[in-house]
Amino acid sequence: MIVGEQKPVREIIDTIIRYKKLLILGCGTCVKTCFVGGEDEVAALASALRLALKQEDRKIEIEEQTVERQCENEFIQEAANAVARNEAVLSLACGAGVQALAKRFGDTPVLPGVNTTFIGIQQKPGLFTEECQGCGNCVLAVFGGICPITRCSKKLLNGPCGGSQKGRCEINPETECAWQLIIDRLTLLGQHKNLRAYIPPKNWQPSISGGPRKYIREDHII
Amino acid sequence: MTKLDKPNVTLFHCINSIDEKLTKSYIHKRNINVKLISLPCSSLVKDVYLLRAFEAGADAVAVLVCPENQCRHLQGSIRARKRVERTKKILEEIGLDQERLSVINVSITDQLAVSKILQEIVAGLSDLGPIRVAA
Repeated sequence: MIVGEQKPVREIIDTIIRYKKLLILGCGTCVKTCFVGGEDEVAALASALRLALKQEDRKIEIEEQTVERQCENEFIQEAANAVARNEAVLSLACGAGVQALAKRFGDTPVLPGVNTTFIGIQQKPGLFTEECQGCGNCVLAVFGGICPITRCSKKLLNGPCGGSQKGRCEINPETECAWQLIIDRLTLLGQHKNLRAYIPPKNWQPSISGGPRKYIREDHII
Repeated sequence: MTKLDKPNVTLFHCINSIDEKLTKSYIHKRNINVKLISLPCSSLVKDVYLLRAFEAGADAVAVLVCPENQCRHLQGSIRARKRVERTKKILEEIGLDQERLSVINVSITDQLAVSKILQEIVAGLSDLGPIRVAA
């Protein structure tokens, strides 16, 4: 899932201050799971903003809505009437959601209420960790399902480095050494011979360093 | 500072933490507007409920939870405390005194607990006054 964090309320206030009618639009998929952009978070932020602005004697009407997925036009469409009733939209979605809204509602300002941080998983309730950098050329099969590009602080493809200590990373001891995890997992799978193979330098062309990426499925394009 | 003649206090409470009938009879005799909100477990409290209590006019909000080792749902009191702590940070961000929100462990066997809690809240509010709204 895409993981994000809500922006500080004061920063949000600075961006919405010129508007009298605001729609806070949540997204019911990734950011809902990480407690940032679902119905509850939309309601809590709306309440916090009303309380904050009331103290400053600033009047604002806030409408709340959450769509299933802000990054898809079919779902965004459900918010069209609410968008039309308001001067601006504060999106509690990832950057893709914000941009999808901006594209769909070209004449309405769309403001981000979330800092999009990474693609990750929920390790346990309340703890989210980065697992994928979307490098465009997945190598997880070689590394036993553990990504050294994301989870090794040095992005080593031929690890480990000399800084792995008791299964922890020397860059941050709170981080598990990805290479220790890779070795343990490959051993468990009986694939430790993978460790003897030299992995050549990665081709980063499919990653973001080649500019904005596209994925085309010709059979779905009319 | 404007004095609060009759403070508005919202108490969220676990149904296992206080005797609601006894509490209501006590509240009746005091010069406080108290809104009691019963929850099956205090862990059901959320930031949005607490914030909306302030929006609805509460001068102070308290969440009464069972002692941590007596929670029927094992971790309910701990969860409630964490949610209150998070909401306190939101209050700080929006310029409201964190002292207006509290989480307090209460045992149902302590029949004077709510009385003492309300006295403390009212005493605290005499320092804080009403929620500041720009003129």
